[in-house]
Amino acid sequence: MLEDKLLLWKFKRGSSEALERIYDKYEAYLITVATALLNNTHAAEDVLHDFFISFVKSADKVKLHGNLKAYLATCVANLARNRIKRMQREPIALDDNDSIESAVLEPDLLAIQEEETAILNQAISQLPYEQREVIVLHLQADMRFTQIAKLRSTSVNTIRSRYRYGLEKLRSLLNSEVLK
Amino acid sequence: MKSLQDIQKIVAKFNVKPGPEMRSKVLDEALEIQRNQNQQSISDTKLNIWRIIMKSPITKLATAAVVVIACLIGLSFWRTTGSGIALADVLARIEKANAFGSSRQWSESEKITGEDPNKPPYVDDARTYLISQEYGLKFKEQPKEQPDPNGGESTFLEEYWLLQKKTKISISHKKKEYTREEFEDDWLERQLEWPWANDPRVLVKEILGCKYESMGRATIDGIEVEGFQTTDPNWVGNAPNIRQVDVKMWVDVKTWLPVRYEEAYVYFEEKRQRFEHTHSVMHDFRWDVVVDAAEFEPPVIPDDYTGTVVKWPSINEENAIQGLKLWVELLGNYPKSIMDMIVLRDFTALRSAFEKSETPAAMRLKEELKGLSQSDKTNRLRVAMLPMQCLNKFRIKLGGDKKDPAYYWKIVTPKDTDKVLMRWKVSDNEYRVIYGDLHAETVTPDKLAELEKALPK
Repeated sequence: MLEDKLLLWKFKRGSSEALERIYDKYEAYLITVATALLNNTHAAEDVLHDFFISFVKSADKVKLHGNLKAYLATCVANLARNRIKRMQREPIALDDNDSIESAVLEPDLLAIQEEETAILNQAISQLPYEQREVIVLHLQADMRFTQIAKLRSTSVNTIRSRYRYGLEKLRSLLNSEVLK
Repeated sequence: MKSLQDIQKIVAKFNVKPGPEMRSKVLDEALEIQRNQNQQSISDTKLNIWRIIMKSPITKLATAAVVVIACLIGLSFWRTTGSGIALADVLARIEKANAFGSSRQWSESEKITGEDPNKPPYVDDARTYLISQEYGLKFKEQPKEQPDPNGGESTFLEEYWLLQKKTKISISHKKKEYTREEFEDDWLERQLEWPWANDPRVLVKEILGCKYESMGRATIDGIEVEGFQTTDPNWVGNAPNIRQVDVKMWVDVKTWLPVRYEEAYVYFEEKRQRFEHTHSVMHDFRWDVVVDAAEFEPPVIPDDYTGTVVKWPSINEENAIQGLKLWVELLGNYPKSIMDMIVLRDFTALRSAFEKSETPAAMRLKEELKGLSQSDKTNRLRVAMLPMQCLNKFRIKLGGDKKDPAYYWKIVTPKDTDKVLMRWKVSDNEYRVIYGDLHAETVTPDKLAELEKALPK
């Protein structure tokens, strides 16, 4: 997108206005990606914090080959992965349901949607991280399998398999819940 | 049973809203780091240059020689450009004229990726101005490409700023409507000092306040001119969302008065996420026009036009505080951003926000309005909401006067008795501060720094 290219150009030249705009534009999107990967909103907020600080610190080194949205999602995914490696354990299940919200809906629809989101979140947390990552990056961050494969230095077929197995498992988990 | 497609849709719709303090926690720190980096980068650049200079005696000598030559050249350019015209002198010449006229043509277009670049502009207007230092300003707006089919003059908007009567009258011939605004203070006079009045004095001052350069000489309509250009993003006070500024002023080398003014910039329209390209040209300048006082008498408004009369209170701190109070009472919170204020600056938008509000004060007012005729309802609401619009005008005034205003509407609430809600500069040693609970005081810059440091991150 032209606006993103212009924003990044200005950001790299030290524009605070551009930084603010990038933040406002992608905050919700990145916190969604991070939360889906980590299944913990506090951990997701920490990742977002760490990402923006390092993004500013290495502004002059940022090189954009594709679009900004995918670039930001990739960075957040890398930080989330490092965090998980550091913790050397699977992330804990979501402990902060209140901070998960869907788009604005009528009150009764909202209640249903919130319940679905909580169930989905629990289901995602039961997937192995590698499958979860591919699903989130592909469906949430709109990244192509080839991009994810390149990011994780693995073959496209492996990524496709992780996606397919992950989705199947998610389906079986969700179909066993009251989500019909 | 959910299919794989259903699962994909559910995951894609998954949406998490960031916590309320997230933005200030993360962004403030990132901005602080960016500020420090910017400063560091400036000092590093200076240091590197200095190191290169000091490394060898030859560069030391050469640098000294360059400095001496630059000083000599600089002295010769001190008042003028190479061709003998200084923009500051152009301003002095304009100020000698009692009244001046000009024509200005605008074209605005939206640029959307993938759309035909030759798509015609959606705004294509022309205005004819007359500005008198004594009486005020008036203009007529005409469609550039839609002349009157009967061959007559097709004016669809007229505006009069009558300084001596402190009154502004706008007439929309297209809608058969008019607005008469009466001011208690010098608001109108002050508006003439801001760029949107299109007063050539202000336009020159704006360029003078920016980094600009001479473009050399050219000929326009047989007149030899010299051009000045600025692409400085600080033009019009670094207005939000304005980018790619390119402003040019061409001045007659004999009279030192402007002949042509061109303005081009890109405005990012946040709501629709679009870039709007604006290009306008001001020309046909007429200097020292003889103005008859009758030209600045209130115009006769046709009988079949409907109108609104607004009597503005003074645009000052007291009324701005009233405006803030009303924001909370009627809409439930302080404005969340300047954009919030801009969107709600006009009565129609403000009214629509009020209709959706369910605060006790809003419900009481809605109750009061029940049973009134539509026009009585509108007038009653207009009066009730005037302080909110005053607040926006006060914000414009602080910005126009370059008072270094800052607003913390997002993070400060009415309960925050000791937190800065908004502030502006009164003098070099004083800032005026309005706190969350709406009491105000004057503080030193040091005290302000402490207060701002204590704001929630």
